[in-house]
Amino acid sequence: MIRFLDMAEQRAYFSTDYPVNIYALSEQSVTVEFGTLISEELLSLITGFNQFLLQNPFPGLITTVPAYASLAIFFDPLIVAASDLPGKFCYDKVAQYLKNIGQTKRAESHLATDRVVIPVCYGGDFGPDILTVAKTNKLTIDEVIEIHASGLYTVFMIGFVPGFAYMGGMDTHLTTPRKAVPDAKIPAGAVGIAGKQTGIYPMETPGGWQIIGRTPLKMFDVGRPQPSLLKGGDQVTFKPIAKDEFNMMLQNEYENQHY
Amino acid sequence: MKISIIKPGMLSTVQDLGRYRYLSQAVPVSGAMDQLAHRLANKAVGNDDGLATIEFSYAEASFKAETDVLAAYSGDGAFLVFNDELMPAEKPLFFRAGSIVKFIANPVGVWTYLAVAGGWNVPDVMESKSTYLTAGFGGLSGRALRKGDVLMNNQSVSQVSEQIFDQLIKKGIIYPNWRISRESLLPQDRQTVRVVLGNEINWFDATSIISFLTKNYSIDRRSNRMGYHLSGTPLVRKVKKELLSTAVTPGVIQVTGSGDLVVLMADCQTTGGYPRIAHIAAVDLPSCAQLKPGDVIRFSEISADEAEELYFEREHDLSLITTAISLKYIKI
Repeated sequence: MIRFLDMAEQRAYFSTDYPVNIYALSEQSVTVEFGTLISEELLSLITGFNQFLLQNPFPGLITTVPAYASLAIFFDPLIVAASDLPGKFCYDKVAQYLKNIGQTKRAESHLATDRVVIPVCYGGDFGPDILTVAKTNKLTIDEVIEIHASGLYTVFMIGFVPGFAYMGGMDTHLTTPRKAVPDAKIPAGAVGIAGKQTGIYPMETPGGWQIIGRTPLKMFDVGRPQPSLLKGGDQVTFKPIAKDEFNMMLQNEYENQHY
Repeated sequence: MKISIIKPGMLSTVQDLGRYRYLSQAVPVSGAMDQLAHRLANKAVGNDDGLATIEFSYAEASFKAETDVLAAYSGDGAFLVFNDELMPAEKPLFFRAGSIVKFIANPVGVWTYLAVAGGWNVPDVMESKSTYLTAGFGGLSGRALRKGDVLMNNQSVSQVSEQIFDQLIKKGIIYPNWRISRESLLPQDRQTVRVVLGNEINWFDATSIISFLTKNYSIDRRSNRMGYHLSGTPLVRKVKKELLSTAVTPGVIQVTGSGDLVVLMADCQTTGGYPRIAHIAAVDLPSCAQLKPGDVIRFSEISADEAEELYFEREHDLSLITTAISLKYIKI
């Protein structure tokens, strides 16, 4: 990521490297599509542009939604229409504003990415599918744990349910397809693998990922200022823990309830 | 003001206009499925549009006024009945303490909103009172209403609400003679929904686009607050590539892998990976939400500019209603 930023120091957010497609998603939102492939380069471009836009909002901007290769911008049409942004319709006003600030030269070092360590109790009852992952990749269970816990992962986006982080950067030796038939109930904290990605279920939901362990951390807590523990652009590592440590941490998490 | 739930009905939750600032953390918008009815119920009691109402689905619900209550309702799922008398919608209604109010089926639609002067008082979660059942937060303890639940209003009510309340008490009547005309805000043909074509429109073959804009579809039984599945002629894609998950929003129409249409609704996920053939014009989304399983739905294309003009016309009409109600009660 650092390497790319050095190289692109003088480039604008909107450049021929990633030609943008801006379209109306609804009367209250537009999407800027930067590309059609997942890459860390694109992630840092979108994260940077998103932060720049939030620091330099147009009148009526409500919020933004970064995804793999796009950024959606939600706004209040009444405020946008009443603003002196040039253009007849809200879409034109917002799109023009985005194009203007897209010409800004990318800053080198303002990306606010956090590094987060997630403790995981692997295997056993907490990781019912770890054997599937091991067999698929001709590994032992210990090797699966070793490989999964030694990687550095990047959060590409939060989606699916509140706080669910889609993470890339997993060692391809762990690549395992998702289940043909999704499980009806996956517990909160379950750590899973789907294809080349890894992720953590923040709450009990149905799901099709291969579950290899569980974290005692609350991935989503409405009592926190930022309810989702992770955000797009964050760097994540996993730390294996034993079951008694898991139980102790779980107790702590729930005693410190913010509700 | 206080009510207790005698019968909760099929699915009753506290909702407001939704939760927008946490979309990037994958927290859905939620909020009222029919935002127009929600807003009109609020306006009828002198509330701001954004205060919390109770969203009832279909009928079979009833409640008791534990104190004197100034309420109003709007929507297509039920009619309110008190003392065997049908209560008019979009009008302030004064219920004496002890009154028992029942919901009887309205064959037209699904959702009915009950507003109270000052709005229903439940805690704000992430700046909204909307209930999101999947994650169990918002509204009343993050869940649907149950028998015996007690709901109270916010004590601070607007000056208009106070005046309405005082006049109804003074005159000893349940409701005044004015009402908001919701009909004038609804499309002539509820089953024809105006749409703006989506970013992935060219992923579909011409025949499929024509089917989408001319054929009848119907609301499937697999429909809920997250989305309405439609049955009808499946669409065929000519571009087979995968769409990387990207932001979606209520009103967006996705086409699944099998070519079926899904209209995303209030509790939809914040991102989706299915191509989007269109989005429903914001002004038509409320009446679309009132369509029931089995109902026919057709789509008619308008431009994004037209959709925006309709949006502003609607907001203008709604602001005139607020002004008109204020002028009835506040002397300048």
